Amino acid sequence: MLATRSQSSAVALTLSLLAAIACTRRGGCRDEYCGTLVVTATGSITTLLPPLSDAAAERDIFDQIFLRLADLKAGASTIGDSGFVPQLARSWEWTDPLTLTFHLDPRARWQDGPPVTATDVQFTYESYVDTLVSSADMTTLSHIASVTALDSLTAVFKFKDRYPEAFFDATFHMRILPEHVLRNVPRAEWRTTPFGRSPIGNGPYRFLRMVPGQSVELVADSGFFLGRPHLRRLIWRFATDLPVAVTQVIAGDADAIEVLVSPPNIQRAEATPHLALYPYAGGTYTFMRFNLRANGNATRPHPLFADPDVRRALVLATDRASMVQSVYAGHAKVPPGPIAQMWTWLWDIPGLAPPPFDTTQASQLLTMRGWRDTNGDGIRDRAGVRLSFHVAVPTTSAGRKQYARLLQEQLRAVGAELVIDEMDNAALSEHEHAGTFDAALESWQTDPTPSSGVPQIWGSAGGSNYGHYANATFDRYVAAAAKAPDPSAARADWVAAFATLDRDAPGIMLYALDNVAAVDKRVTDVQVRPDSWLALVRNWRIPPDQLNERDRVGH
Amino acid sequence: MTAWLLRRLAAAFAIVLAVVSFAFIAIHLAPGTPFLPEEGRPINPAAVARLRAEFGLDRPLPEQYVRYLAALAHGDLGESFSQRRPVSQAIASAIPSTVRLAGAALVIDFLLGIALGVFQAARARRRSDAALTSATLFLYSLPVFWLGLVLLLVFGQWLHWLPVGGETDVVLYPYLSFFGRLFDRLKHLALPALTLGVIGAAGTARFQRAALLEVLGQDFIRTARAKGLTQSAVLVRHALRDALLPVIALLGLALPFLLTGAVLIETVFAWPGLGKLATDAIAARDYPLVLAATLLASVAVVLGSLVADVLTALADPRVRLTA
Repeated sequence: MLATRSQSSAVALTLSLLAAIACTRRGGCRDEYCGTLVVTATGSITTLLPPLSDAAAERDIFDQIFLRLADLKAGASTIGDSGFVPQLARSWEWTDPLTLTFHLDPRARWQDGPPVTATDVQFTYESYVDTLVSSADMTTLSHIASVTALDSLTAVFKFKDRYPEAFFDATFHMRILPEHVLRNVPRAEWRTTPFGRSPIGNGPYRFLRMVPGQSVELVADSGFFLGRPHLRRLIWRFATDLPVAVTQVIAGDADAIEVLVSPPNIQRAEATPHLALYPYAGGTYTFMRFNLRANGNATRPHPLFADPDVRRALVLATDRASMVQSVYAGHAKVPPGPIAQMWTWLWDIPGLAPPPFDTTQASQLLTMRGWRDTNGDGIRDRAGVRLSFHVAVPTTSAGRKQYARLLQEQLRAVGAELVIDEMDNAALSEHEHAGTFDAALESWQTDPTPSSGVPQIWGSAGGSNYGHYANATFDRYVAAAAKAPDPSAARADWVAAFATLDRDAPGIMLYALDNVAAVDKRVTDVQVRPDSWLALVRNWRIPPDQLNERDRVGH
Repeated sequence: MTAWLLRRLAAAFAIVLAVVSFAFIAIHLAPGTPFLPEEGRPINPAAVARLRAEFGLDRPLPEQYVRYLAALAHGDLGESFSQRRPVSQAIASAIPSTVRLAGAALVIDFLLGIALGVFQAARARRRSDAALTSATLFLYSLPVFWLGLVLLLVFGQWLHWLPVGGETDVVLYPYLSFFGRLFDRLKHLALPALTLGVIGAAGTARFQRAALLEVLGQDFIRTARAKGLTQSAVLVRHALRDALLPVIALLGLALPFLLTGAVLIETVFAWPGLGKLATDAIAARDYPLVLAATLLASVAVVLGSLVADVLTALADPRVRLTA
């Protein structure tokens, strides 16, 4: 009896101790402006200095720390300025066809105190176009001749020419930087400046701490001039790969994830009671790119893909509708060109449709071009050359690996052999850059407008046109679309450009993903902007009756 | 002993140098290049070229190698391409996490492994021994990442008993009391340490059982039994002391297992140690960081082996450390 009593006491004591050690210092935050959102993401942060990076996780953090002069409304057109809302600029006007004047909001302040001035705007532009900084946005800013500060609150942009997306280029690609902090840092040293690990911004959230490779924490600026953010803390935690990140959000260790990607992940999230799913138009499209020049020798034509009829035959031989269904089960669409779902206005145009699946026509085309199976091994050949090629596939993409196998089967049916080379992204990029590939399965993230991405990848002078596709007619239509004065005129030019691309078949447009974000149900007022899913997070909130210990702590 | 130690240290230095040299050549010759943006974003060739020049990657490989060794001789591990900070800082922040994980796994490995081995040897050829032999063989043959994923799914995702990743709770940790922080760390450590430790314990148990059974057949054990000692006294006081010797040697050999296991486990559990650092560095072609992680791992393995030899010699007077 005595032993039993002492055992009970020991158990009670142990339980009390456990309860005591598990205690947090109780937080008192219980109002509208509490709430902590933990976002899980893949990858990691290199630097938090905007001109030096445009990776997805960094973009999401920049959205909270550094404002633009004006920002794009969700799903709005990038032509003209009607689709934009004021941010650092309170208003703007075109003073002549080539001069755009921004009037800054006098309430805008840097988080260390000084006001945001036109000098900051001028400094930002000069930094973005400085070759020492080598921003990825340098080329998109090439239409701007100069930016000057007329007075402390007036910044004047001079353009080299007038074009419909001039306002978009002036605002979307630059996040305004603090001149008073960065002016004394030589631009060649920006890569390693401590500012990149502890930035001072002008946005709704302040930087609090970063643990390299692990997490970044921001805290709401209660005095933010456009309105106090509802969520008090934003924390990013980084996982090495998507399955780990998805598990974190399903297990409740994180509250939100940008995109679930695959149907199994979506099903897991759907079956999780505490998660709400938010589908939105995706910003990527995936394709198989053909290298039109010989593998490893850009001066010679590719033995297979230099012939547009062979490329067209391979396009016709692929049943993209069945592939998209079997791999993405309704969470992706077959695009009628190099088109992301985010460009909604390009998806409902009559006459713009994916090429048909027609193995008979594909076989006829190949036979017509002299490709026949002369030795009965199931693969066509011509003059001793087999209709066989390698495709580079990134190991990190489960979807593309599945696609590669399906493509292999489908192309075999018309007598073409596809050999799959799986490799990591770094190796794939190097092969493409060096031209040492036959074909590659690629996904491209896009801007809110096709005007920058499409010529970049498919234009004859495009920096990412690794397949060396060149057609002056296509370039002309793309240039015309970028200069079109209104969306309907732009649409007509894009249709003509994509029809040209369709005929030339420099690649097989495979799928454009629907994005599905998952967010904990205690978070309300969730709005997702397709081009940047957390751009509006300052309006997300957690009602006081939904707050948990994690939301209240540390106030 | 001193001469032996000096010779072993010289050999260890040569091995580490060979490993680092091989890693240097392999990582530079591997396809892929540093400073590329994430997939699907345009490359700025001028920026890439400038960074390559800044880090000396535009120089001939032999020159880069000599420069690397010269810097290494001065204790300079270089600057991380992906983390934009000295490699020594990145490594220093990751080491404690890996030491905690490997240390906890080692404790589980040896305590559980030895206990199971003793239990099995005491009940040799009985049903419980056969069952445990099958169980340990099954565990030992499991891929470490697979077991990690299963434990994560069961205890993290389904039962919600333990966190699924990270070393601490990113939200609550800064606001916890001292004991709260300790408890939080233990909670996060549990699954990855258990994964690594249990698989190691399965191997240790099999080793311990075999060693103990061999000792139990010797004359001095028969004498001890003849003197009327109890079975537990014979096992623990006499047999185990002898049978622990080969297991002690396993200590040093456990390091390579723990380090390679940590690479996978740290990825599965987002554990911010050397393994995850190395995995991320390889994906980013962060040469200095990859080389530093390789250097550290090779030093740990070589030293582990050395420590095992010394421990064996200390524990068994019959073993002589001779050159």
